[in-house]
Amino acid sequence: MSTLLIRIRRGLPTSVLLLILGVLVIVPMLFIALAAFSSETPRPGSIGLSGLSLDNFAIFGSSQALGAVGNSLLVAGSASVLALAIGCGLAFLAARTDTPGRRFLYFAGIAPMFLPSLVGALAWSLLGSPATGFLNLLLHSVGLNITVNIYSMPGLIMVLALYYAPYAFLLVHGALSLMNPDLEEAAFVHGGTRRRTLRRVTFPLALPAVLGSGILIFALTMENFPVAQVIGNPAQIDTLPSFIYRLMNASPSRGNEAAAVAIVLTGVLLIVTAIQQRAVLRRKFTTVTGKGVKPKKVPLGRWRLPAFAAAVLYFVLAVVLPLGALLIASLQNSPYVASLGQLTEPGALSFYALGELITSDDFLQAARNSVLTAVLAGLIGTALSFGLAYTVYRTGAAGRRVLEFAAMAPLAVPAIVLGLGLLWTWLVVPLPVYGTVVVLIVAFLAVFLPQSYRGVSASILQVDRDLEDSAVLLGAHRTKAVTKVTLPLMRVGMVSTLLLLLMLCMRELSAALFLFTSDTRLLSILIFDNYDNGAMQGAASVSLLYCGVIGVIALLAKSLGARTVDGAR
Amino acid sequence: MKVQLENITLAYGEATAIDRLSVTVEDGESLVLLGKSGCGKTSTMRCVAGLETPTGGRITIGDTVVFDGERGVRVAPNKRNVGMVFQSYAVWPHRTIFQNVAFPLQQQRLPKAEIRERVADVLALVGLTEYAERGASLLSGGQMQRVALARSLVMRPSVLLLDEPLSNLDARLRDRLRVELREIQQRLGLTCVYVTHDQSEALALADRIALMQGGRIVQIDRPEKIYDAPSSAAIADFLGVSNIFPCAPAGPGSAPATYRLTGHATEVTSDTPAAGTGKDPRVCIRPEDIRLTGEPATGANSWPGRVDVVSFQGSYVRYRVSLKDGPELDAVVPRRATRMLDVGTPVWASADPDAVQILPAEVPA
Ligand SMILES: Nc1ncnc2c1ncn2[C@@H]1O[C@H](COP(=O)(O)OP(=O)(O)OP(=O)(O)O)[C@@H](O)[C@H]1O
Ligand SMILES: [Mg+2]
Repeated sequence: MSTLLIRIRRGLPTSVLLLILGVLVIVPMLFIALAAFSSETPRPGSIGLSGLSLDNFAIFGSSQALGAVGNSLLVAGSASVLALAIGCGLAFLAARTDTPGRRFLYFAGIAPMFLPSLVGALAWSLLGSPATGFLNLLLHSVGLNITVNIYSMPGLIMVLALYYAPYAFLLVHGALSLMNPDLEEAAFVHGGTRRRTLRRVTFPLALPAVLGSGILIFALTMENFPVAQVIGNPAQIDTLPSFIYRLMNASPSRGNEAAAVAIVLTGVLLIVTAIQQRAVLRRKFTTVTGKGVKPKKVPLGRWRLPAFAAAVLYFVLAVVLPLGALLIASLQNSPYVASLGQLTEPGALSFYALGELITSDDFLQAARNSVLTAVLAGLIGTALSFGLAYTVYRTGAAGRRVLEFAAMAPLAVPAIVLGLGLLWTWLVVPLPVYGTVVVLIVAFLAVFLPQSYRGVSASILQVDRDLEDSAVLLGAHRTKAVTKVTLPLMRVGMVSTLLLLLMLCMRELSAALFLFTSDTRLLSILIFDNYDNGAMQGAASVSLLYCGVIGVIALLAKSLGARTVDGAR
Repeated sequence: MKVQLENITLAYGEATAIDRLSVTVEDGESLVLLGKSGCGKTSTMRCVAGLETPTGGRITIGDTVVFDGERGVRVAPNKRNVGMVFQSYAVWPHRTIFQNVAFPLQQQRLPKAEIRERVADVLALVGLTEYAERGASLLSGGQMQRVALARSLVMRPSVLLLDEPLSNLDARLRDRLRVELREIQQRLGLTCVYVTHDQSEALALADRIALMQGGRIVQIDRPEKIYDAPSSAAIADFLGVSNIFPCAPAGPGSAPATYRLTGHATEVTSDTPAAGTGKDPRVCIRPEDIRLTGEPATGANSWPGRVDVVSFQGSYVRYRVSLKDGPELDAVVPRRATRMLDVGTPVWASADPDAVQILPAEVPA
């Protein structure tokens, strides 16, 4: 009898967690699948179970859908190759060469990460639209008859590559600078030249990181909606995410076909993520110990300055020009600028519009909503991830592999698709959740669960379980042992996960796209709305402030990181 | 307090880590669990502590049944009053030494003054009085080990479990702490279970040694008994017998206690009773029982050979001798007994028949 009670008590946490993950991740995906095979979409009072058939997939007979598939593969493929080239190049320069200004190189490598791709795309459409783009005005004003057209396939690829290169940079920089110098020195000792050692030892050792980040970038660019919409739409280039969005926004809305496209997109990502996970796993066996010994630097000789210049060029393209464009756009007084000269006239620029915006109800409400959802999603997400990681790594609970799998599953589900699934879920569930910020929090929890789960479990793995067990043996109840020993020791990891979640939630647009109402707009939605209505100045101003908020979070995270390093000493 | 394990079985998924293990540790006794890596020593301790739940069996500490698979009894680990020193020490780096050691007493909600007094006493016992306010992350290995010990001692545990507490330390510190540990255990009359895979540690610390193999206890006895009469060649190997060779009775016509080494011409005579060797017997000779001389020794067991390897170890010299038409033999000779032999020197190796044991390869567990 008491064994049964024990069993129930032990199984309870796992079941609760499974239930939560079911609501967050599994049910929405089921709704998508259901809608893809049905002739009506889920709505209040009906989950849309009528007329099951494969009809919706007939959309893949249309040239639009096939075009979207082709474009997605082409864009994601080229953008990831370009992003890899930029990211790996910079990482090599920053980690392993004597290029001047190493701190700047590192900063240039990661800074674009703090510009959400929505903002980057918006800025580049200000810079490179063929008629009124600032770059084109500049070119024409110096008498050059060249027109940059960002609204094109190369433009789309470039913008994506600019803002996803930091992912490659971070991973590869990590691999290159943590590489055990013994491995390279062994090659020198055995008579390798520097160039041969690089080619035979260093690069192969970094290869898993390169491949891993390449596949990650492919997945991320494949599911990217903001850039595809802002840059691709004027160029009439549809990718799968923007195609889904257009199907949903058609009138009448073509939700079932959108679901069919979503299924295909998810399928592709599932394969890509599976490959990526394997690459990451293999990486564990190969490289690098974290011994913190500095590997040797490669002297570049006369290539030092050109290398530095290349890094500067990237930084200018990804950060300086876009921020400049946003600044000018939000300060200019007349909505139309036909030449750069116009901007230098007295009274052409002022803070008036920016000031209006900051005090406007729309902005204040969106800012409040953004901060509220991000903070709540961050706190709840970190706590949930702790529950998951603790159950998976510290208990013998049955079903913990299932938990882990469900927690990592959103990795393969595009944010826009998960958003769509959550829309249908909360339309059907008879709880007053749809239309409130709660549904946005739920969406962010689901979309970023893999990241937060990973962060927390990495940190729990660093705390030896004996530390907690000994507290129990010394007379503390298990919960007390967790709060007195395990959690304090995980403090840094938990706080960084919280900040990461804050940052990711602040940036996110795609997941919220189908879930917001006029009362629950976020900053990212406000920007997108402004852009959609052609109010470029408003979009630019909000973007600028938005970058400010994200920058503050980033600084917080960094100062925390610095303290971690101090604490370790 | 007396600790009793009856028929304990523990499985991790499919794999059985402990297999119907029964053992009793008497009150005030120090029992050492000795065995190869992965034989289930840590698992056994974790069962006593309550950190693992056995699939069956019964564990009693003093008069309290803390686990009984049949009756569904399972006392939570924090209610068992079992002290445990982990191999990793598990000293909490975010607390001072005082806070580490005071923790169990705070859990018992003792008055502050009493806590201070008892912590001070136990810190004095392990020699850490001056370090009380130090952060625990700044300690050396030896100091950590003392903190972990103090933290367990302060709660006056019914039984103290020590899981290879010395294995992370350097050899000299290990020797010193070994003596200190034994002294504290005897002074306080602690019931102890001590895990190690170092045989000299086991011999020095044990009232009794239990040899484990594949999740079972294969021999349990006083140290000197086990040392003199291991019950299998595998156990002998563990206790430093490095000359172990498969053999077979030399056959009709020879003396009854004569064996021929499998695959060699060498014959060995043993005076020890060869009862129960069953099939697959082994000749076991301790290296320190081998004598090396210039001429053949009188009596049985004298074999010609040549010195292959000489290794000087301070108070003794270890030789490897390859026998003519025979295997290689390990010999340990006290430094002062003879002058050092050079590599290549022809020698006679000999062993008293009563130093030669014929043992089964394994005892059925
Ligand atoms: N958490 C676990 N999950 C699965 N198997 C385990 C676990 N812990 C131990 N085992 C297995 O149980 C067996 C016994 O392990 P145990 O840790 O008790 O060995 P040990 O005698 O303490 O070894 P060592 O001397 O290496 O510490 C081993 O085969 C081990 O692989
Ligand atoms: Mg062990």
